[in-house]
Amino acid sequence: MSEYRMIGQSVKKLDAVAKVLGKAQFAADIYFDGMLYAKVLRSTVPHGILRSVDVSKAEAMPGVVVILTGKDVPGSNSTGMIVKDEPVLVKNGEKIRKIGDPLALIAAETEAMAEKALELIEADIEVLPPVFDPVAAMEDSAPKLYAKGNVLAVRKIRKGDAAAAFQRCSVVVEQEYRTQMVEHGYIEPEAGVAKLDGEVLTIWVSTQNTHFDAKEVARNLKVGLDKVRVIQAATGGGFGGKLDISVQVHLGLLAMKTRRAVKLVYSRTESIINSAKRHPCIIKMKTGANAEGKLLAMECSIIGDTGAYASYGPGTLTRTAVHATGPYEIEHVAIDAYTVYTNNPTAGAMRGFGVPQAAFAHETQMDMLAEKIGISPLDIRLRNALRAGSVTATGALLKSSVGIIPTLEKTATAAKTIMLSESAVGKNAKKRGIGISSMWYGIGNTGLPNPAGAYVNLLDDGTVLILTGCADIGQGSDTTLAQIAAEEFGIDMEDVRVVSADTGITPDAGASSASRQTYISGNAVQLAAREAKKVLLETAATMLGVAPDEVVIGYKELSVRTTSAQSQFLTDCLSECRLDLGMAPKGKGQSVSLADCLAECRAKGKLTLGHGWFNPDTTGLDPETGQGKPYATYAFATQIAEVEVDTESGEIEVLRIVATHDVGKAINPVNVEGQIEGGCTMGLGYALTEEIKVKEGKILTKNLATYLMPTAMDVPEVHPFIVEEREETGPFGAKGVGEPTLIPTAAAIANAVYDAIGVRFTELPLTPERVLAKLQEIQNAV
Amino acid sequence: MSKKAISFILNGQQTKVEVEPTLLLVDMLRNQLGLTGTKIGCGEGDCGACTVLLDGKSVNSCLILAVQTDGRELLTVEGLGTYDKLHPLQEAFIAAGAVQCGFCTPGMLLSAKSLLDKNPRPNRKQIARHISGNLCRCTGYAKIIDAIERVAHNQ
Repeated sequence: MSEYRMIGQSVKKLDAVAKVLGKAQFAADIYFDGMLYAKVLRSTVPHGILRSVDVSKAEAMPGVVVILTGKDVPGSNSTGMIVKDEPVLVKNGEKIRKIGDPLALIAAETEAMAEKALELIEADIEVLPPVFDPVAAMEDSAPKLYAKGNVLAVRKIRKGDAAAAFQRCSVVVEQEYRTQMVEHGYIEPEAGVAKLDGEVLTIWVSTQNTHFDAKEVARNLKVGLDKVRVIQAATGGGFGGKLDISVQVHLGLLAMKTRRAVKLVYSRTESIINSAKRHPCIIKMKTGANAEGKLLAMECSIIGDTGAYASYGPGTLTRTAVHATGPYEIEHVAIDAYTVYTNNPTAGAMRGFGVPQAAFAHETQMDMLAEKIGISPLDIRLRNALRAGSVTATGALLKSSVGIIPTLEKTATAAKTIMLSESAVGKNAKKRGIGISSMWYGIGNTGLPNPAGAYVNLLDDGTVLILTGCADIGQGSDTTLAQIAAEEFGIDMEDVRVVSADTGITPDAGASSASRQTYISGNAVQLAAREAKKVLLETAATMLGVAPDEVVIGYKELSVRTTSAQSQFLTDCLSECRLDLGMAPKGKGQSVSLADCLAECRAKGKLTLGHGWFNPDTTGLDPETGQGKPYATYAFATQIAEVEVDTESGEIEVLRIVATHDVGKAINPVNVEGQIEGGCTMGLGYALTEEIKVKEGKILTKNLATYLMPTAMDVPEVHPFIVEEREETGPFGAKGVGEPTLIPTAAAIANAVYDAIGVRFTELPLTPERVLAKLQEIQNAV
Repeated sequence: MSKKAISFILNGQQTKVEVEPTLLLVDMLRNQLGLTGTKIGCGEGDCGACTVLLDGKSVNSCLILAVQTDGRELLTVEGLGTYDKLHPLQEAFIAAGAVQCGFCTPGMLLSAKSLLDKNPRPNRKQIARHISGNLCRCTGYAKIIDAIERVAHNQ
């Protein structure tokens, strides 16, 4: 039997009933009488200077209530996750840096009127020469997006002496990899509604971080943070794409100006054009090993095209660099990662945060090395895998909860029975193969403080209210946090309510990103619960006539700790006797019910109210060497994919994926499985079909008919497995899982394709055209 | 443009409304009738979030005019179940862990219903094919297919 009642239970998600009934309120579902509808006029040129905006014709249109331009932004007119470089509305005389930059805002009585009025606005733009190639953008002679130049950030990591170590390597592989720009593809486009009540501006929005949103709104509207209340509406997926500001500030401006409720909902195309994307990367990687396959050295340079604005770019590329070694110990490392501005669409955070790009490179390298040395892909990984006592490229010592080896072993064992049975060998033109890939992922923001807070209130009747800033974007954080509180108090899930992501009520919990909320907000809720529990335990101790540390919480009761099997037996006998006599099983030396204990707390004037906050133990990274402790803990995973390649059509079908993830502790196993299945599917798209095609700054794949995400027909059998290498600093040992699930998938598929047809791909996605071209190349060479 | 009076059965109730001839079915449902359970994910028939059942067949309500429902029978997620009595598919979606963000869920449920009404015992492949017009970005479809299969087995 589990040592826990609620932890490790696949309880149903708290929001599931409202969602299956269609009652969950997404931002686009919100309606107020007299509400206005907003539209944004956007730039159609990728680089230029806005000379003027003529709104006179549009303003004269019936139904148009207000039109705002750059001069109407009272505050900083800038937003950004890391660098405040993105204008809310481009001002006259200022720069346009990408297609989609906002030039004017309209609020009208109907959406159709607002849309019509857009066409009547005339923007005079002086066109500037653009730059779209990140390598060219790094040259001094390139057109500059910013006065400081186009190289936004450089992250260096230096450990040992890589150049010297390569001299000692028996085998070295060196390869350039290219990964494509991709789209988050949440099914709900960005949406929000704003309303001014007295002096408080309330904004309901689809978001991953209400507290960040409120700060951006307040600074741009030049109002106090206390006057801005951002409430997360039900959010139809995020995956990193709802971290940036979309509708929030625009809605705030319009609601303040008109003093009417205003709604802004993006169309799918508007969403694709304006949301940040996954960074396309150029990765040059050189990896060397000795004859036994022990990795000795790595050199790596990474160029990430962050487009027109920084968004999470520098953080993303830092993560790419920090994770470039893969989950392996390498003594000598030299890594440089460049975040470069271009006039392309902005790239920012997307599930995996720069690590899927790195994984595609390092996992291909591992297979190439193994082949050269003559050992199996599994062996080379086992020989080099991080373990307790390993030191990472940033010089961080891993003390415990290093589950990469168990994931390798479990995945390999499971794959043996699931994949490539004798009868399953491909026929004729269809070739089958399997490929392995592993990953590691630091939980939380890289080398930065990123605390989360929570309040927990144990109410008079023994039910609990949790207040947390943590945005549940579908991953189930509300449920996870409720399970943690229910476990702490010995109550049922039905007895817990979670109010999340409302800046007017809940404390800041940071972003629902970086796979951080189970670990960080989970800790915050546990600490808050324990503060409230302390009062309860002290009161129960008095009632039971023992010291507080002698009292433990059971199911809706507090009892004297039983320290041996014998006393447990006696306790049970006594309770049985009491029950037989029609008495409650309580009393001095025994137990007291939660209800009675709470009544006693109140009679003594004590509230059972706790607050907690948790900040992971990290240090910043040295700017020259990248040395430091970027994360408090890491998740690990291994996936094996089985593919069938049609050598006539070039099509790749992924048949099965075995995916094993070390999550520390699965608080809700079904939700963890859901993350694994969803992540593998997103990874499948990344590997095979998904690509945001951009030509001269313009997105060509601007709808879901041309941007191809996996459908139910495309997904393989996914076999999820969970490894629990307990993290001592995590809530009940938990770490995180959201992003890791996608990270190894593309590399596993690419390695499987190599196994099937002997062709090595170094560029994503693996389209039929690319497969056929490579096969043709080989044929021509024969 | 003059409005047109139409009459149809909506979630079991005879309903009469006056609509603009160009009004899309999804906009009538969401804006005129306040039934916001039907979602808009793309407005172009690519994502399936707006799926409703018209005479029992699943359709993208973003590609159909409201006037086309005249004299016909319409089912939206609001007519599928209630807090007190969930539809078996709704129960199964919850139990299987098929709901993450929930935005595709109403459309997915209605697609599933139209399949089971026609073919009460579909296999996993048939289920996948039938819901392939409904995109889900969170779940990877596995638990959605599990849920539908569960209902099929219990029927």
